[in-house]
Amino acid sequence: MTSPRSVSAEFTGDPAIEAASTREDIVVGGQLVRFRWSTRALHWSVALTFVLALLTGLPIWTPIFGWLAYLFGGLQVVRWLHPWIGIVFSALILLQFIDWARAMRMTPADRRFVRLRNFLSYMRWELHDEEVGKFNGGQKLLFWLSALATLGLLLTGVVLWFPELFSEALRQASWLLHDITFILFTLLIIGHVYLGIVEPGTFTGMIKGTVSRDWAKLNHPAWYREVTAAESGAREEAKRTR
Amino acid sequence: MPIQGLEILQSSASLRGQPSALRQAPFLSKYIDTSTCIGCKACEVACQEWNDLPSVPTQQIGTYQTLPSLHAQYWNLIRFDETEVDGNFTWLLRKEQCMHCADPGCLKACPAPGAIVQYTNGIVDVNAEQCIGCRLCETGCPFNVPRFSEKTGKMSKCTLCVDRTTRGLEPACVKSCPTGCLHFGTKEDMVALGNQRVEQLKASGFANAGLYDPPGVGGTNVVTVLKYADKPELYGLPVNPTVPGTVRFSKAPLRWIGLVAFGATILGLVGHYLRYGPRTGRRPESPTPPERKP
Repeated sequence: MTSPRSVSAEFTGDPAIEAASTREDIVVGGQLVRFRWSTRALHWSVALTFVLALLTGLPIWTPIFGWLAYLFGGLQVVRWLHPWIGIVFSALILLQFIDWARAMRMTPADRRFVRLRNFLSYMRWELHDEEVGKFNGGQKLLFWLSALATLGLLLTGVVLWFPELFSEALRQASWLLHDITFILFTLLIIGHVYLGIVEPGTFTGMIKGTVSRDWAKLNHPAWYREVTAAESGAREEAKRTR
Repeated sequence: MPIQGLEILQSSASLRGQPSALRQAPFLSKYIDTSTCIGCKACEVACQEWNDLPSVPTQQIGTYQTLPSLHAQYWNLIRFDETEVDGNFTWLLRKEQCMHCADPGCLKACPAPGAIVQYTNGIVDVNAEQCIGCRLCETGCPFNVPRFSEKTGKMSKCTLCVDRTTRGLEPACVKSCPTGCLHFGTKEDMVALGNQRVEQLKASGFANAGLYDPPGVGGTNVVTVLKYADKPELYGLPVNPTVPGTVRFSKAPLRWIGLVAFGATILGLVGHYLRYGPRTGRRPESPTPPERKP
C-alpha cells in the first residue's frame, strides 16, 4: 500500500510537463517544452471542431456518407448543427491565428523547404535543413492555407446559410467554392494528421507539450539551438556567480 | 407527403435513379393560356382552399398582384406586368407556380434522400418528412419557385394537386378557372391544345405567339401559351432555363473527384508508411550521438 503522499509525488514526477502548463520554448532536464497548455488546448479544440464540421458536412455533401448523420441524430440534426459548428471552428481558428501568426512568418529557409523537390525529399525522410526553426515551411504553409480556407468556408457558408440575402449567382458560386475548399482543406488535414503521427515524438509533443532533445535536433534544429542557447547561457551565468 | 400508389421516377440524393418505376404512365400537364387569363385570381383562392394554406397578408406593389412573389403558403400567383411591346402598351398576366420540370433542378440540388421526388406521371413533389430545410433547392431551381417556410423549417411549393390528380380530378386551380384558360391532361394533349391556340393567336396578328415548354429542363409539365413567346422575360420567365452548371458540377463530377482524391490520398499514405516507415533514427547530419533513450 502506498501512502497518498507518495502517490501524488509520482504524479508530479515530470517537471517538464509541469513547466509546460504555462511556459514554452525552454529546456527542462532532458526535455524541451514546445507548446504550453493554452496552445495545445486551442489546437485540439480546432481539431475537434474541424472533425465535427467534417462529419456533419459529409452526409450533406453526398448520400454515400449519409450514415454519418446518424451519429448526430439524423440529417435534420446535422443540417442544423453544421453551420453552428462552422462558426465555432472559425472562431477557434481565429484565436489560433492570433496565437501563432507571428511564429508562422515564412523565412527564406521555409520558402526553400516548401519547394516541390525539397518537400518530396522531405517525404522520403532525406531532407535535413539546419535552418528549420520552431515550425518548418510545410507547417507554416498549412497554417496560412488553413486560415485562408477557413475564411473561404465561413464566407461561402454564410451565403448558403442565408440564401435569401444573396443573389442567385453568388449562391451558385458559394456552393461550388464551399465544396472545392472543403475537399482541398480536408486533403491538407489528412496529410497533416499523417505527418503528426508517423514520427514518434511529434504527436506526444502536441499532447504533453514536451519533446526530446533528439527529436528537436532532428526536426527543428534552429529552434533547438535557440532554446538551448538560453540554457547554456544560464549555465555559464550560474558558473560565474558560483 | 408521397402519395401511395404513385411510382417514383426520380428521387433526390438517391444512388439509384429510378427506385420504383415498373409501370409506365404518361406525363400529366397543366395548360395555361396567358392570352385568355382575365386576372380574376379564382385559381389563387382555389389553391389556398384546396391545400388548406393559411392566408398571407397581401402587399400593395403598385399593381393588382397579390404578393410580390410566391410564398411558402402561396403556391399560385397571378403576375400582372405592364409593359410596352413594339411601341404598344400591353398588360400581361401570367400564372406563376412550380413548372414541374422533366429535369428538375430542385431535385438535382437536394441533398436529403427522398425529400424531392418526381412521380412517373411527371409531378415533382416535396416530401416534408425528409426535407432538412437546407434551401439548396432554391439555388437549383431556374424558375425561383421553392419557398422556405420559417414556420415549418421545410420547403414548399405547388404539388400539381397530386392528391386530386391521382384520383382522376383536375388541379383545384383548373377546376376554378372561369375562362377556360387552364386545362389539365396528358402532356401530349396539352401540347396539342397549346399549338392549336398558338395558331389561332398567330392568325389574329400575334406573329410571335408560341408555347413555352423550355427544352433546357427537358420540357415542363406546365405548358404556357405566350403572345410574345420570343420575349418570355416580359412575363418573368427565363429565356433558356437550365439546371445551373455549377449545381450539376458540384453534384456529379466534383463529388467523384473529391471521393477519389480522399481515397487515393489515404491509400497513398498507407503505401508511403509501408515504404518509408516512421521518420526516426536517421540523422546522418547529427553532430552528436543521442544523449539518452527515453
